[in-house]
Amino acid sequence: MFRIIFLALILAGTLVGCKNSSDPSSIATKDLKIGSPDQVKKIIEQFILAEDSTVIELPTGHFEFETQLIIDNLQGLTIKGKGMDKTVLSFKGLKAGGEGVKIVGNDILLEDFSVYDAPGDGIKTQNCNGITFRRINATWTNGDKSKNGTYALYPVQCTNVLIEESHASHSRDAGIYVGQSENIIVRNCEAYGNVAGIEIENCSNAEVYDNKVYDNAGGILVFNLPNLPKADGARTRVYNNEVLENNHKNFAIPLNESPNGNTVTMIPPGSGIILLAAKEVEIFGNKILDNKTVGVAVANYHITGFPSEAPDWSPFSSDISIHDNEYKRPLAPPDLSKDLGKLIAAKNAHGIGKTQDIIYDGFWDKSKGAELSSNPMNICIQEKGIEDLHFTLYDLYGGEDDIKAFSDYNPFVCDYTVQTDVEELKTL
Amino acid sequence: MQKLWILVVMSGLVGLYLFSCSTGKMHPSGIDFSKVPFEHLSDYGFFKGEQNKLMPSPGVLPYRPASELFSDHAEKSRFVWMPEGASASILDTGYHHLAFPDKSILIKNFYYSQSENEKQRIIETRLLIKMEGEWNAFAYLWNDKQTEAKYEIVGATIPVTFTETYGTKHSIEYIQPNKNQCKSCHNQGEKLVPIGPKVRNLNFAFDYGNGEMKNQLTKWREAGYLESFDQADLESCMVDYEDKTSSLGLRSKAYLDINCAHCHSPKGPASSSGLFLTYEEKDPTRWGVYKTPVAAGFGAGSFTYGIQPGKADSSIFIHRMKSEQVGVMMPEIGRAMVHKEGVELISEWINSMD
Repeated sequence: MFRIIFLALILAGTLVGCKNSSDPSSIATKDLKIGSPDQVKKIIEQFILAEDSTVIELPTGHFEFETQLIIDNLQGLTIKGKGMDKTVLSFKGLKAGGEGVKIVGNDILLEDFSVYDAPGDGIKTQNCNGITFRRINATWTNGDKSKNGTYALYPVQCTNVLIEESHASHSRDAGIYVGQSENIIVRNCEAYGNVAGIEIENCSNAEVYDNKVYDNAGGILVFNLPNLPKADGARTRVYNNEVLENNHKNFAIPLNESPNGNTVTMIPPGSGIILLAAKEVEIFGNKILDNKTVGVAVANYHITGFPSEAPDWSPFSSDISIHDNEYKRPLAPPDLSKDLGKLIAAKNAHGIGKTQDIIYDGFWDKSKGAELSSNPMNICIQEKGIEDLHFTLYDLYGGEDDIKAFSDYNPFVCDYTVQTDVEELKTL
Repeated sequence: MQKLWILVVMSGLVGLYLFSCSTGKMHPSGIDFSKVPFEHLSDYGFFKGEQNKLMPSPGVLPYRPASELFSDHAEKSRFVWMPEGASASILDTGYHHLAFPDKSILIKNFYYSQSENEKQRIIETRLLIKMEGEWNAFAYLWNDKQTEAKYEIVGATIPVTFTETYGTKHSIEYIQPNKNQCKSCHNQGEKLVPIGPKVRNLNFAFDYGNGEMKNQLTKWREAGYLESFDQADLESCMVDYEDKTSSLGLRSKAYLDINCAHCHSPKGPASSSGLFLTYEEKDPTRWGVYKTPVAAGFGAGSFTYGIQPGKADSSIFIHRMKSEQVGVMMPEIGRAMVHKEGVELISEWINSMD
């Protein structure tokens, strides 16, 4: 009898082990046949010899590359696999270069394949006008997440970006990261097991909707960082997403190391949606459930402790609208591994160790108004049953020894709507 | 019928004779650019006699930039060739760029002079050829016998053992990039461009052999490769980072320019980082002083700023220069080894900052 239980335990352990090592994302690919060296070489050649309007068809199989796959400034190119569960491009053995796949060009379509184990970013697209990711899965299969790469799907400096029905998981920074781009839709995607699920950074005119974002340290981030060529971003609508149980540990840096200069290293596990130096953001209709530290955080760049002056950029979050979302606080207490988590756990307006639904760090641009009670940064919150939510407004100007926390949300009850225009992308 | 057959054989033989005859006498002036890239390096006729001696044909002019890229201690010999009657011109002097005429060819050989058995071994030869207004990159991989190099597009990994200048022996995997990786560095505004041949990199005296020490721009002018210019109008030359008589600041800026700035510049592929490492950059934040990273991921290590003045060991620059891990190391392409002397130079510079 004992022996049978013992065997069953071993078997269970093996099964779990298998699942973790071969199928890290929820896309099953472990039965795929390893591609031959000739097949691998042919795929590399297809990328190099591609011309405008080429359709690169990737076959069924698991293909391992030692070199990067790069598309160099082409128009109307399509790269099409047989399905996220049928075509895997693996960069575990990559010998030089950052990203596994790098794409430059206009009107590019990427469809139906998976990218595994790039040492840097999974798929980076740069300087593209018109880039679609459709049913693309990018992930890392290392058991040890400290070896994983930075971004899974990484469009940067692009215009007209559509990411849909895609999966991004286990990245050491953001799963879906859209940077310094304009006109963006991220929809019907799943992001899980990342430090950050979806991040919109220094972007303008973006919609993030109908996504399922779960088991990350932070669910959805809208950030503006200083000193970038696209200096500031504005106009993002985040709606109808499921932002669930984003309580994963933050593995952007090794355990016991202090945060480095990457802002994402500061994200406390248990964060649903975080805005940092964000401009014109509307958050509505989301299910923000079981995130143990905070549902929605409105933060200013000052909270990072980094220099907060840069040309053509403001460290303040402004023109924010949070309304008609659904919240549920889990039983678990807030994170204690990061400073922001400790702040929320130790000091809030509802009691030590209480999860917060909405917080505002309370820094404001004093040239816009003498009192925060006049809501100079136009932070608008209209939630049903707000009286039962945990809302905390901080005053951090007094430094660590004089932190104040207030529960009064009344200064922030106002209407505000963000206008985005991405209709053309919706029909792609 | 039989006659026709004999004719075919005869013409074939004549063709063969002409071909074998011409290999030794090839010269770039005979290049049919509609057939480029050729299968073999010798087809271009850049070098006369035994190919691996790299003895340039008439009109194939050697050059060197003031500071050189580190790529795993590979030594380089560079040549330029332009067609008869065509010459480059100097664009507005602010950015030191040369405008090259069509059919210009830049030739760069990568070799180790002390490789296996203390013999010279040429690994690859890279060509930049300008055609119809656009630069194109073609790489040739040398055979083991060192008699010929063959056109290669998917790249290669080549085990090499060599002894470097300071006597240290290394065994490495030399990585020849694939064709599309050329633009990982040779890229400004998504156009393929040369990196080294800029006015401010060439404006110094070069040893042409036989006692001829001459400013390279003057030599190019004499060879008809450069339109006339007034030396007084030109920016002075970038320093050689190996020249210890130059200031630490300029040597460091020169090192970062030639090793990093092709990507880390406003129109380079790393423009998204906001970190600009050109020799001309004047804004310390743009060079990385107290600048937080953006998309460095774990490349940032446990550090906050690109450059933390006075603290090289706490600066992301040094962390990434000292790494051999893909995804952390910088530059991310072109080296598998750490450049010890480069790390020492940039460390000394950062430590000297207030």
